[in-house]
Amino acid sequence: MTYQTMLSLLGQGFLTTLAIFLLTLLGSLPLGLGITFCRSSKFKPLQWLTKFYISIMRGTPLMLQLIVVFFCPNLLFGIVPPTNWRFIAVILAFVINYAAYFAEIYRGGIESIPVGQYEAAEVLGYSKTQTFCKIILPQMVKRVLPSVTNEVITLVKDTSLAYAIGMVEMFTRAKQIAVAPNSPGIVTLFVAGLFYYIFNFIVAWAMERIEKRLSYYE
Amino acid sequence: MKKMKRFLCLALALVMTATMLIGCGKKDKQQLIVGFDAEFPPFGYLAADGTYDGFDLAMAEELCNRLGWEFKAVPIDWNSKDTELKGGNINCIWNGFTYTGREDEYTWSDPYVDNSIVIVVKADSGIKTLADLAGKTVMAQTASSAVDGIDGNEAFKNSLKEVVQLADYNTGFLELKQGTVDAVAADIGVAAYQVAQNGSDYVILEEAVSTEQYAVGFLLGNTELRDAVNTELKKMAADGTMLKIAKNYESVGLVIDNLCMLG
Amino acid sequence: MNVLEMNNIKKSFNNHTLHVLQDISLNVAEGEVVAIIGPSGSGKSTLLRCATLLTEMDSGELLYLGDYAAKNDENGNSVYADKAALKKIRSHFGLVFQNFNLFPHYSVLKNLTDAQISVLGRSKEEAKQRAEVLLEKMGLADKGDAYPCQLSGGQQQRVAIARALAMDPKILFFDEPTSALDPELTGEILKVIRQLAEENMTMVIVTHEMAFARDVADRVIFMDGGVIVEQGDPQQVINHPQEERTRQFLSRFAQN
Repeated sequence: MTYQTMLSLLGQGFLTTLAIFLLTLLGSLPLGLGITFCRSSKFKPLQWLTKFYISIMRGTPLMLQLIVVFFCPNLLFGIVPPTNWRFIAVILAFVINYAAYFAEIYRGGIESIPVGQYEAAEVLGYSKTQTFCKIILPQMVKRVLPSVTNEVITLVKDTSLAYAIGMVEMFTRAKQIAVAPNSPGIVTLFVAGLFYYIFNFIVAWAMERIEKRLSYYE
Repeated sequence: MKKMKRFLCLALALVMTATMLIGCGKKDKQQLIVGFDAEFPPFGYLAADGTYDGFDLAMAEELCNRLGWEFKAVPIDWNSKDTELKGGNINCIWNGFTYTGREDEYTWSDPYVDNSIVIVVKADSGIKTLADLAGKTVMAQTASSAVDGIDGNEAFKNSLKEVVQLADYNTGFLELKQGTVDAVAADIGVAAYQVAQNGSDYVILEEAVSTEQYAVGFLLGNTELRDAVNTELKKMAADGTMLKIAKNYESVGLVIDNLCMLG
Repeated sequence: MNVLEMNNIKKSFNNHTLHVLQDISLNVAEGEVVAIIGPSGSGKSTLLRCATLLTEMDSGELLYLGDYAAKNDENGNSVYADKAALKKIRSHFGLVFQNFNLFPHYSVLKNLTDAQISVLGRSKEEAKQRAEVLLEKMGLADKGDAYPCQLSGGQQQRVAIARALAMDPKILFFDEPTSALDPELTGEILKVIRQLAEENMTMVIVTHEMAFARDVADRVIFMDGGVIVEQGDPQQVINHPQEERTRQFLSRFAQN
């Protein structure tokens, strides 16, 4: 197996990693906001339920959550999994896990906004929705961005946990290549590491750009 | 903003491609969904063209061709093999799967490979027999027959300092190389493959830890699928197909003498 | 008609153990400037917060231009009007905070125009025109594109006043508008308020600036312990207080 073959095989794995990464963000960033609302809901049972959900997501290993999401529907309820279930389950597990983390980050951001901002908006006659969308949310986004960046970078590396349910993402692919006949061997793992590093470098760069764009005020 | 849009388009395209790669097939025909460990040459591994290859997979695919079935190979995490099988994500495990000692846990085909669990050590380690391993550390793959083999040989197990269980043999051989384990216990096929790949660095001890046999495992009670596969498998052994396929995998460590179904 | 009418307002905190407002009534006529003075904890800020609907009162009536924002039920508890009615009532008043509370992520111009557009439904051009007139008046014509963090405290407070005025309120409340400012910056704010007084803007000002209160107000109210102790003509209340508590408070001020 030549280096070129190795790279193209790793590249395939990388596409899967990228898909997990993007779909997870696409799902968990907005879902986190919804969970934040439930978490601070005035309806107590909903609040407790959300608190419980967040504590489970943060208190158990992501790998376990992947296994539970993937296997439980069938083992507990006898549901026949759809054809793409392996991939769907990976995305689902990642989304619900990361949404819990994002929710707590958002909550911190929202709570850090001075009460005077709400009062100023109220006196000016903004509705509750307007206040949140126009006044609170933009300020919250700026405040939580550094923490969100941290999570996003962690996510890039966490994608490799998908191997636990047989998802062939880049890291699993690298391990397969490493033991394949006449492959470059262990070097493959380092090349995969380089892929992750470059990917994260781009992610960090992009997040920094966004932070800069939002730094027009203090 | 324009750049942002272009980036989003690109990202979306990539996601779609990836989703398609993972893709799905039709469910009309009888399917044989083989669960296998893609880090287990010569029985299952990744080929240079990005497809999965190996003696067992080649056999399974040929069998499907002959029966007009749809063949699907699903790489799984070996630790989850039971859950995958029970969950219906796969309907057989055909991957150097040890039958000995697990007779009651699955519904089995006839055994087709005589396997032994052997010990690989560094050529310059001075270890020649199992007794030399007293007080040493031995690696075996988690939930594998090598662990079962060691467990079954109690005197040997008790003489060891520790049995380190790792998810795959690749890591095990890395540990052997750097000296964090003194020996690797593995199926003869795997051991032969590693020795073949690494030249004269490693040797296989002549004395085996245990002997056992490989067969194809099905969900306990799924005799219908087992019977269909078993009948065809025996035909393939009898008409020379098995030998023909096996020859393709000699170079990656398959030992033809061990194919017990060939008689 | 009174612009603001507050009748028998009661408010307590901590499960009715801390009585902050005890039966306060306050009417403000059109064009009148009322200054409220008093020691901290006297309830003057709470009174302002009740008037601006930021704090719910326990008991009492609140009216703007004759429309009820809250009235008493048979048990004497305040019952507030419905959402739509309160929305209309909010458009009658403006509030200038001690800490400005400008929106930091909006430019000065957007701070002034956004509520006009999204609350009053004015067109962009109309809102911008109104904002520019007010910025000119505040001496900030060149600051429209600046962000609040780029301005001095005095400039920020002037933007806050302009933001409130942009909504064309019938009455404007000030909650210690100079307390968060360095002493050398208070002058510019007081000057703006003075100018508004000359234009007959109806205003209620909570302040610690005694000289200013005396000069600009038509009426001074001295509050202490949740009640109005004394009120009347500024010269009268500040120079010749009738009540002992007022005298004590003012003498402490004179010493400082």
